[in-house]
Amino acid sequence: MIDLDVTLSLAPFTLQVRQRLDAQVTAIAGSSGAGKTSLLEVIAGLQRGAAGRLAVDDRVLLDSSRGVFLPPEARALGYVPQDVALFPHLTARGNIRFAGRSGSRFDLLCDTLELRELLEQFPGQLSGGEKQRVALARALMTSPRLLLLDEPLSAIDQPLKERILLYLRRIRDELHVPIVYVTHQISEALALSSRALVLSRGQVQAYGPSDSVLHDTAVAGDDACLNVFEVGRPSHDRSIGVTAVFTTEGMPLFVPWDRVQNADFPIVIEISGEEILLFTAQPAALSARNVLTGPILELTTAGGATDLVIGTLTPFRVRLTEASTVDLALTAGQPVWLAIRTRSIRIVG
Amino acid sequence: MENTFLSDLGIILFTLRVAAESTLLIAPLALALAVALRSLPVKLRTTIEAFVTLPLVLPPTAIGLVLFELFSRRHPVGAALDRMGVEILFTPTAAVIAAAVMSFPLMFRAFRLALDSSNFRLFDIARTLGVSRTGAFFRVIVPLSWPGIVTGLLLAWCRAIGEFGATVLVAGNIPARTQTISMAIYNRVQSGREGETVFLLASVVIVAFTALAATEVLTRGQRRRLAR
Repeated sequence: MIDLDVTLSLAPFTLQVRQRLDAQVTAIAGSSGAGKTSLLEVIAGLQRGAAGRLAVDDRVLLDSSRGVFLPPEARALGYVPQDVALFPHLTARGNIRFAGRSGSRFDLLCDTLELRELLEQFPGQLSGGEKQRVALARALMTSPRLLLLDEPLSAIDQPLKERILLYLRRIRDELHVPIVYVTHQISEALALSSRALVLSRGQVQAYGPSDSVLHDTAVAGDDACLNVFEVGRPSHDRSIGVTAVFTTEGMPLFVPWDRVQNADFPIVIEISGEEILLFTAQPAALSARNVLTGPILELTTAGGATDLVIGTLTPFRVRLTEASTVDLALTAGQPVWLAIRTRSIRIVG
Repeated sequence: MENTFLSDLGIILFTLRVAAESTLLIAPLALALAVALRSLPVKLRTTIEAFVTLPLVLPPTAIGLVLFELFSRRHPVGAALDRMGVEILFTPTAAVIAAAVMSFPLMFRAFRLALDSSNFRLFDIARTLGVSRTGAFFRVIVPLSWPGIVTGLLLAWCRAIGEFGATVLVAGNIPARTQTISMAIYNRVQSGREGETVFLLASVVIVAFTALAATEVLTRGQRRRLAR
């Protein structure tokens, strides 16, 4: 639980955030220059000019009215900046053990983040994803009350992104460390967080369930019509090349077997709402594996495109041209069918 | 000949000792000042920097004269020391102080450059890991600045070995008491005994080479790691 009521003067605007963050994982989203990193630094104690009040789990870290400013070393928060900032003069082991002395925690983190092979390497010898894992372990060695991550997936290639997301989910689910992380990628935000805080020029634009908040705000941009689900319970059928998976709500989906055969479930998948075909009657004789049905829950038209939310077991977002919407005479409440090719389903991680 | 050898050895050891003591004396001061200046306003910083750099640009004899006046009984500082029974002028201590003042700017500037090129964000990151400011400084900034710090220490030491102008004024040129290599060479050349300077000359050349080699050896590993 993080109680934020802070202000910080930044060159073009003032960062002003008054919000209680109550989720296990919170994504901080917003366009670049919105103040996301500054907010993380305020929480970490690296912005001496911050004013207002800040408490993590009822422990006051900042209260400028009473002259309270806990220095970073007294906050017990883990912070991994965007460039990860490993100490170049120390090996991976030296970095990880920089602050923490607990041998058992060291072993736990080495296992969770698969670091054993890297321990004697210097940061200059590590790849981007390896550096990220070492930095995560270093921050987690202090047993932080909260982990602050600045764009943990931004500089990483897709296959590695999947691995790092896996590690982050392990941190969330096995180590139970709350996470606040900055991202400007909607799929990354949806892949990990249950709540999202959207910043715009230093102000809170929205806060709430990631799915709705991120789709409803301008931050989404072209990504606005994205379906990102966590799926599990896979049953592979190699002979026909598909794997059946289920969303948290129990909705079955078929995904390409070759893309998930070695995945460590649960995984996060992504389907663009623009690649989904919509039918007003049940389609027959179709190549697409996934055919789902539900009523139209929401229908919004703007700029020649219509965004629909369909009430399938796990609601789907679909984007059509305004022309299609008019031709099909779509209205809210009307039942529709969706067809999704297995190959349209992308694995986020 | 043997006597000359022994007395030369004494001069060499005394010079190295004076230089080492002056270097150790100013090292913490130079480091503290280089750190403190980072957080000062630019104007104040520039003024202080210019002041401590003066010994580098002023004639050494001028600095020697200032020190001489400072420690003479005419000056309150010298008078106060005198009352406490502390004698500075024409003692080995005076040689250490003169060498310290003269070599301070070199060490300070080397430290300053080293700190400027260190990534102070890593200092912040170390603090988020629960390490105090002092801990973060000695465990992150000092190792990262290590090549510059070693260079500063050895430059100052070498400068102190060669110091003449200021030292001769405050410490005198007293054989077997305050005479350093530079003064001994000066004395012998003045009295036409150039041939007796060979051992002293050879020793300073060897010491200088050793110092440069030591800089290389002491910083090689770290420079390689940081360059990666």
